[in-house]
Amino acid sequence: MAGFLLQLLADGLVTGIGIGLVAISFTLYYATTGTFHVAHAGLYTLGAYMAWWLTTMSVPFALACIAAAAICLLAGLLVQVLVYDRLDRTDASPLAKLIASLGVLYVLQNLVAILFSPDLLQFPTAWRGGVIQLGEVYLSYAQLVVAGSGLVIFAALMAFTRLTMAGTRIRAVASNPFLAEITQLRPHRVYLMVMAIASAIVAVAGAAIGFDQAIQPYTGILVLLVATIAVIAGGIGSITGAFVISIFLSVLQNATLVVLPGRWSIALTFALFIAFIVIRPRGLFAHR
Amino acid sequence: MSFFLSYLILSAIFAILALSTNLLVGLVGIFSVSQAAIFGVGAYIVAGLTMHSVMPFLPALVVAMAVCAVLNVLLALPSLRVAGDYFVVTSFGSQLVATALFINLVFLTGGASGLSGIPAPEILCWKAVLPWQIAILSIAALAFVSLMFWLMMRSPFGKLINAVRLDENAVRAAGKGVRSTKLVVAAISGTFAAIAGGLYGVHLSYIDPVSFDIHVSILILAMMVFGGARTLAGSILGPLVLLALPQLLNLIQLPSTSIGPVRQLIYGLLLVLFMLFRPQGLLGKKI
Amino acid sequence: MNRFHAAATAALAIFSIAVMPAHADEKLVFGALLPLTGPAAPIGAEQQRGVDYAVRKINESGGIDGRKVEFRYEDSQGKPDTGVLSFNKLIDYDHVPAVISAFSSVGIAIGPIATRRETLVLNPGAQSDQLGDISPFLLNTIPLVHDETKVLARYIYDKVGARNVAVIYENAAAGTDGRNDFVEAFKKLGGTIVADEAIEFGQTNYRPTLLKVRAAKPDLVYLVVLQGYEPLIEQIGQIPGFPVCAGTTFLRLAWGHLEAVGWYQSAVHSEIDPKIEEEFKTIYKQPDMSFFGREYYTAANIIFEATAHVLKDGKDLTGRNLLDKINEIQDFENSVAKLHFDKSTNTAKRGIEVLKYTKTEREVVAVESAK
Repeated sequence: MAGFLLQLLADGLVTGIGIGLVAISFTLYYATTGTFHVAHAGLYTLGAYMAWWLTTMSVPFALACIAAAAICLLAGLLVQVLVYDRLDRTDASPLAKLIASLGVLYVLQNLVAILFSPDLLQFPTAWRGGVIQLGEVYLSYAQLVVAGSGLVIFAALMAFTRLTMAGTRIRAVASNPFLAEITQLRPHRVYLMVMAIASAIVAVAGAAIGFDQAIQPYTGILVLLVATIAVIAGGIGSITGAFVISIFLSVLQNATLVVLPGRWSIALTFALFIAFIVIRPRGLFAHR
Repeated sequence: MSFFLSYLILSAIFAILALSTNLLVGLVGIFSVSQAAIFGVGAYIVAGLTMHSVMPFLPALVVAMAVCAVLNVLLALPSLRVAGDYFVVTSFGSQLVATALFINLVFLTGGASGLSGIPAPEILCWKAVLPWQIAILSIAALAFVSLMFWLMMRSPFGKLINAVRLDENAVRAAGKGVRSTKLVVAAISGTFAAIAGGLYGVHLSYIDPVSFDIHVSILILAMMVFGGARTLAGSILGPLVLLALPQLLNLIQLPSTSIGPVRQLIYGLLLVLFMLFRPQGLLGKKI
Repeated sequence: MNRFHAAATAALAIFSIAVMPAHADEKLVFGALLPLTGPAAPIGAEQQRGVDYAVRKINESGGIDGRKVEFRYEDSQGKPDTGVLSFNKLIDYDHVPAVISAFSSVGIAIGPIATRRETLVLNPGAQSDQLGDISPFLLNTIPLVHDETKVLARYIYDKVGARNVAVIYENAAAGTDGRNDFVEAFKKLGGTIVADEAIEFGQTNYRPTLLKVRAAKPDLVYLVVLQGYEPLIEQIGQIPGFPVCAGTTFLRLAWGHLEAVGWYQSAVHSEIDPKIEEEFKTIYKQPDMSFFGREYYTAANIIFEATAHVLKDGKDLTGRNLLDKINEIQDFENSVAKLHFDKSTNTAKRGIEVLKYTKTEREVVAVESAK
């Protein structure tokens, strides 16, 4: 029994770290720009498929990941420039931006479905399914990749926003865009920067998770939904909050599986979200 | 003839749904991707009540309208309490939870296998069994909903809704209830969706959860955006054209596995391009 | 855009719907309503190839009564409303007397219309139990879920000796039917269900579910999963000590994986003449004819045979006449299968067998012939 629970915990940790990557990249962008960028799920999907496509052409996985991150970085910048910036210039309402973002998501999802078929696909890399044993817990190599890359990227992002000039600039714009505008911090430059970083990170998340399981064009929105719950519950703008709550939610989902049938897990997660926004709407790790 | 009639019936049903979304998203400005969920609740209630002979079609429809009104109000509440963007998560979450409920509450909804054998609607002494009769019923329903919509827009209440969307604070300062206005609109929007749901069930005499999932919500949103927000004509044109889209696509030679994704790609493109270049849709006003 | 443009757009849309394509009178036209897009698209493609191959073969040998055969394909998208729209289109515009259908929810939705319009519908693909009596005009050429699960449950109980079984099923129509029927059949034999977990379509991480199932210590795990086998089987292999599994026809996608050695599968008895399969493989560039390819090929041939007889009798080619003719002929045999129709049921009687997966083949370990 202990082995069973430990295994569930380990699995939850890995899944949580993966979702955590989606959450920290989303909160970075959302807190800085104020745009609820649902198309982020589309970049997650695109990243997964680009990495997959490259590995089918015999590119080693690590390299494929980096290339996928680069591709999504560019794609994200295109979206920022062609869609969000334009809408900002025409003074579009947040609703219009949301609808446009939804449209971009649909375009990205269906583009990969057209190019690569809507079927479930797996990475052809041979070593990914191998299993290692840590005490009573078994993890696949791919799961280790997810956990490892997740922790490294989290640490790197924390260091970046805390310790670099660029990071400070981002935090300044996030806390007060109006002031940033008039003090020449040039928020629109910063928006491009956070879009680039967020898109690159979420691409790696998509590739790593897809590497462990399988990829599919239409499930990105579900992952993003859980991630945004973590973002809000953790306090918008808090990278630590988003990451920690993602792990907490995943582990909790697994733990409740012991008593609840699996088909209620989405309802449970959502109920938790409602509880969060009712009890502590500003999030657990809110800044101010 | 049946084909043309089924196209008309579906267009009428989706026009009612587009009007429902028009109220919530177009008029008040509340983002919603959960219209299909309310549509589904309406369909399941009418189907359930008429299948077990609890009550005939019209009273069942009234019950569904009441339930969906309340439900839509509940779903709109978070948009009032918390900042607008939290509501996005709530809306997505509600739609996904609704689909999970439709699939898993088997004793109520028949689960993934759906409910078949929904009886033909009987109104007073008239039974609408044949397709042309259902078509008449659907068009009559659309006429009714359209009238309600049109009257509402022209009334003082309509002007109040417009004012709320443009400047909430000014309205509040003038002493009018912003919150109650939004909730009333949400309730009316819910009743429209319920009517569409009831019609959908009797048209097909079979419903299953797939017909009420998030993709349908996006389709309805696309119809409203394409046709144009805040006008009656827009919400009728949108469904007419977008429902004809699969037939139009048939004329182009596409590999069969791509037709579905191409269709959805077009919906996505419509949403983006219209927001960028023509936010008022074909016949509407700017979102 | 002004009102005139709007009216013109609307008129164009309605016109595109209302335009009636003509077809040559000499051709014999039938319809096929398949999930060419949507979640079941890969299956729809297999089904389409099966029908197309049958059409090719019959036209090569001169057609029926000297007339060429043609099938009009419509996409149901796996959704009942689209299915109904497309079915009506086939009847109204293509004037088909018979339609080959697919996908349970679509079959259920078009059933009442088939009755009203007296159009013959053959279902060689969907297995939902509701299709058994949805319409006197809808005939199933393969056994429905409860037929297969009864055979499988009995084999598992009697021959494998399993008493505690866990169920993992996909939360979709065919999945829940497969689960319900198996649970009922197995419990009736005296067995116990120790775990009962649903998975969602599109899910790719099955580990928590698999762990929970293993913790219940079942003798065997019954799987009703329709797609997405690759990650499921891979993750089963990553969990040490996972019990042996069994399933119905859907499980056939698991065959070939190392983890699936020793697994059991019930199947509709369906062979193929190797010469025919070779030709099929060459023309369509597929690794094999596949279950759906064979079944749809068979269904098309049943329609052709009935058509030939109806025309020979000098009768009109209508759905009713085709239906009556099928019930009159009763036994159909071709290089794929032997089917028996009788008026007491809408489902053909077919042999059902149980297979066991070895490293190299699927070994037939039990056969229950058509009664």
